[in-house]
Amino acid sequence: MKKVLMGNEAVAYSLFINGVNVAVGYPGTPSTEVIETLKDFQDDDFYVEWSTNEKVALEVAAGASLAGARTVAAMKQVGLNVAADPLLSLSVVGVEGGLIVFVADDPGPHSSQTEQDTRNFARFCNLPVFDPSSPKEAFELIKPAFEISEKYKLPVLFRMTTRVCHSNQSVEFELKREKRKIKGFRKKPEWVILPALSYKKHMELEQKLQDMKKELSVYNKVEGKGKIGIVTGGVSYFYVKEAIKGFEDLFSILKITVAHPLDEELILEFVKDKEILIFIEELDPVLEEEVKLLLFENGRIISTYGKRNGYVPFAGELDVDKVKGIFYKVLSDKRFLMKNTFTDVLQIPKRQAQLCAGCPHRNSFLIVKYATKGQDVIFTGDIGCYTLGFAKPISTTDTCLCMGASITMAQGLKITDGSKKVIAFIGDSTFFHSGITGLVNSYYNRHNITICILDNLTTGMTGFQPHPGTGKKIYGEEGRKVSIESIVKGIGVEKVLVIDPYSDFTQNVDKVREFLNNDQLGVIVFRRECANLKSREGYFKINQNCLKCKVCLNVTGCPAIDEDENGNIFIDSVLCKGCGLCKNFCPYYAIEKVMENE
Amino acid sequence: MNDIIIAGIGGQGNILLSRVICQLFMNRGFDVKSAENIGMSQRGGSVVSYIRVGDEVGPIVPDGKADILIGLEMSEAARNVNKINKDSVVVLNNKFVRPKNSDLKKQEILNLIESNISKFYILNAYDIALELDMPKAENITMLTLICKKEIFPFSKEEIMTALKLVLSPQMYEMNKILVEKIYEKY
Repeated sequence: MKKVLMGNEAVAYSLFINGVNVAVGYPGTPSTEVIETLKDFQDDDFYVEWSTNEKVALEVAAGASLAGARTVAAMKQVGLNVAADPLLSLSVVGVEGGLIVFVADDPGPHSSQTEQDTRNFARFCNLPVFDPSSPKEAFELIKPAFEISEKYKLPVLFRMTTRVCHSNQSVEFELKREKRKIKGFRKKPEWVILPALSYKKHMELEQKLQDMKKELSVYNKVEGKGKIGIVTGGVSYFYVKEAIKGFEDLFSILKITVAHPLDEELILEFVKDKEILIFIEELDPVLEEEVKLLLFENGRIISTYGKRNGYVPFAGELDVDKVKGIFYKVLSDKRFLMKNTFTDVLQIPKRQAQLCAGCPHRNSFLIVKYATKGQDVIFTGDIGCYTLGFAKPISTTDTCLCMGASITMAQGLKITDGSKKVIAFIGDSTFFHSGITGLVNSYYNRHNITICILDNLTTGMTGFQPHPGTGKKIYGEEGRKVSIESIVKGIGVEKVLVIDPYSDFTQNVDKVREFLNNDQLGVIVFRRECANLKSREGYFKINQNCLKCKVCLNVTGCPAIDEDENGNIFIDSVLCKGCGLCKNFCPYYAIEKVMENE
Repeated sequence: MNDIIIAGIGGQGNILLSRVICQLFMNRGFDVKSAENIGMSQRGGSVVSYIRVGDEVGPIVPDGKADILIGLEMSEAARNVNKINKDSVVVLNNKFVRPKNSDLKKQEILNLIESNISKFYILNAYDIALELDMPKAENITMLTLICKKEIFPFSKEEIMTALKLVLSPQMYEMNKILVEKIYEKY
C-alpha cells in the first residue's frame, strides 16, 4: 500500500514490520509519534508502553533485549541525556536482541532547551548512528539498524531531526510483520559489568567499530562529478540538491547516512579530485571535523568551508535559501542568488505562545501570584505546557532548566537567598519523570520551599499521553494509579494541600496565602483536567456593562479574550472553555455565562 | 502546482488540511512531501504547513517558490509572503485575528497582497463554517471552496475520497455533509 507517513510514523511502521517486540519511550517533541503510532499496532509478541522517563525506558528495553527481543527506546535529544547513564554502560555490556535507540534532534530549536547533536553522542559512546534524510529513507533503514545491532551485539542509535521526524512523505510498503522467535534470557558472566571486564569489552568495542565500517558505508552515497565537493547528511542533503539545481555539473555530493563510524576509504576516494569541500550539516560540525582530521592524517591539503570557518551557521536550522547563501558566499558568484520577490514586506508582529484558553494552569499560576502579592518571591519553572507561565501577563516563572529542575533549583536558591520565598512549579508527568528525587532531597535536607504540582491528569504538551498519575496505560487500559499526595506524604512531607484551580478564586487565594504563611516545606497539588480533554458546559460573553477597561485581558492573557479594531472587548465563543477565570477580575460585572444550548 | 503553503493559527485545522491536500495529490499518483511545526503550545500560535509535490525535494518550500498560499488567517498569510512571488495564487480566508499587543489592521494586509499579487481571492470560509454550524471546519470549508472555484484542480468526488482516507469515520460523515452543502449553496 501507499500512504503518506510522517517521519516518526514511517519509523514506527518499519519497526513493527521488522518485528520489534518491545517499544518503550517517554514523550517529547519531536519524537512522540514513534510510540504514539506503534501503540496502534497489536500482536501477541509485541509490547508497548510509556515509561516514567527515558532512563527507565532504555533500561526496560535493555532487559528485554538481553532476553533476545527486538526493542526500541524512543526519546528526544534532551531525553537522551537522562538515558545517558544506561546507554554508555550498554555500549560496553552489549545487547542480545536488536536494540534501537531512537533519538529526535531539534535544530532550530523548535521545542527544546538545547540544540545538541546526537551524532556527537554516538562518537561519545562509541556506537553506530543512522541519520536518514527523509521519512522514506528512515523507513528503509530500520531493517539494517536491527541487523547491525544483532550482528555486533551493540545498541544502534537512530537519529533524526525535526524536519525528518515531522515531515510527511508518500511511502510504499507491505504491512507484513517479520515474526522472530525470542530465545529468552540466558545467563552469561558478561552481563555483569565489572571493571576488568569493562576494559576487555572496550577493546572489543573499538574493534567492532572498525569491523562494521565497510558494511555500514553502503548506506552512504556519492552523486555527481563536479570539482566542488559537498559533504552533507540528514535533511540537509535535500537542501543541497535543491540549491544546486541547474548547476549540478559544478558539484558532487557525498551524502553521509551513517555518521559514525565513518568509512575513511570512501571519503578519501571522494576528495581525490576535488578543488574545494563545503560541509552542509545542521547542529554540530561532526562530518566536518571527522573529514578534516582524515585529510590531515593523510597529508591532503584542500580548502574547506563549513562551520569552523564561519561559512555555515552554528546555530539554527538550515533551509534551501540558507544553503544557497552559503554557496554564494563560498563561490562569490551571483548566479546562485534568488530573485528578490517581495519588496514592501509588512512586519507582522510575533504571536507569543500562550497557555490555552481555559487552561487550569493559568488559574493556578494566578492564584499563587495573587496569594504572594507584595512579597519577594522567586518562582522556579519546569518543562511542559506550564513553561508558558513565564509569558506575560502571567509572569510567574523565573527559571527553567530541564525536567525536574524546578524543585531542585528552588532548593539551591533557598540556600543562597533564604530571605525570599521560593516556589517551584512542576507538572504531573514531570513530577513522576524526575521530580520525586528532588522532593526527597528537599525533605531530607530540610529545604523550606513550596512545590506546586500542576496536575492536569495528562501529559499535555506532547499530546495527552497517560502517566503513572493517571493510572491508565498506553491503550487506556487499567494500570495502577500512583497517587501524588501519597508519594508526597509517604516521603514525610506533612504540609499538603489539594486545590481545584477552577473553584472559587478568592477562596483559593486565601487558602494558598495561609498555606504559605510559615516558611516550611509544603506541597500544593492543583488538580483539574486539561481543558482540551473536557467538553465545556458553557462559555462566557461580555455584556453591555463593559467599560473597555481591559482588566480581563491584561490580567489573564487568555487567548479567548480579545479587542477588536474599535477597542471593543469580546470573548471568542468558539475558543472560550467556560472556566470563568476572567469573571473574577471584571470590576463592572460585564462578563456573564452562557450555557451551551442557549 | 508543486509547492503549497498553508498559513494560519493553531486550532484552525491547518495540519489536517495539509494531510488532506497531500492525499488529494497522492490519489492522482504523485509523490508528496509535507512539513509543519508541531509542539510548543500551538493553540493560538502561528502554524504553517508546506506541501511539496515531488520526491527529490526537501520538506521546506524555499523563498519565492510557493505556487499557492492558502491563508486560514490573514496576518499569518502576510507573515509568509516571502514564500510567494508575483505569479503565485493567494487565497485568503476572510478571518483576521490580530496578534495580541499589536495595532496591525486588516486593511494593511489586504493592501500588501493586492498591490503585489494579481491572482488573489478572499473566501468567507469562517462565516460559512459558522453558518453550517461547524465552526471548527474552517479548513475543509476552505478546501472545498478552493476546489469549487477551480483554483485547485480537484473534483468534489476527489475531495470525498481523500477525506475518507484521512478522517475517522465519524469525522468523515460530518465533513461529507459539509462539503455537499457547500457545493449546493455557495
